[in-house]
Amino acid sequence: MFSEIKREPARSFAFALAAERRLLVVPRLEAVDALALRVLELVNADPSLPPIDPPEAYALAFAKHAGPPLLTDNASPKLASLTLEELKGVEVLDSLDVLRALYSGETLLRAVREFAEDTGVRFSARRLRELGVA
Amino acid sequence: MELLKRLFEEKGVRVDWEAYERLTAALREELEWARELRRREADWSYIESRPEPLRTALKLLVETGDLKLASKLCSIPLDELNEERIKAKIPIVVVSLKGDEAPEGA
Repeated sequence: MFSEIKREPARSFAFALAAERRLLVVPRLEAVDALALRVLELVNADPSLPPIDPPEAYALAFAKHAGPPLLTDNASPKLASLTLEELKGVEVLDSLDVLRALYSGETLLRAVREFAEDTGVRFSARRLRELGVA
Repeated sequence: MELLKRLFEEKGVRVDWEAYERLTAALREELEWARELRRREADWSYIESRPEPLRTALKLLVETGDLKLASKLCSIPLDELNEERIKAKIPIVVVSLKGDEAPEGA
């Protein structure tokens, strides 16, 4: 995925995070590759649902392999983790999950509003109600 | 769905089909609502003012909501397209997998 970051300000930001040990660049592991290919095929088997691309499939497989949560706003990896036996137990978090983990109460509502303004990311009313934010 | 079940069965994949059907039904509703939201909120005069292939990429993004797909198909760097997306007021919509309530509003 790192190769997808082309512009200098974004690359500089990523390098700064890595220097502060807040960003981990994961190498390709043979043990993860096989599951990643399988995840790619399975998640994309239904063309009417949002697709997953190879880097995201690898991240999902790596989450299964090593245990960290996968952060993505794509709903398909979460669907896969909830329905495919071989991905059971993988924690998939979207932006709202992360904001809710960081803030609460009025601060959370303000953070959601500011996040939406800064990024152009919107949460559906159903998603907000699901986490008790609206 | 039957084709999908057969495909997964042939590959030896174990799927919670009850959950899959319930969650995908909710997801499809939310995705349709998200598409309408993107169409409604997009700044169409800004989109039409952009040169090709940016214009097509932004239109594709409105329809699919898939930033990476639009970036790849139109050969536009992801971060550049994302900046254009924000200027064009096309929201990235985070949807729910739970289908117990109507999906109106945001």
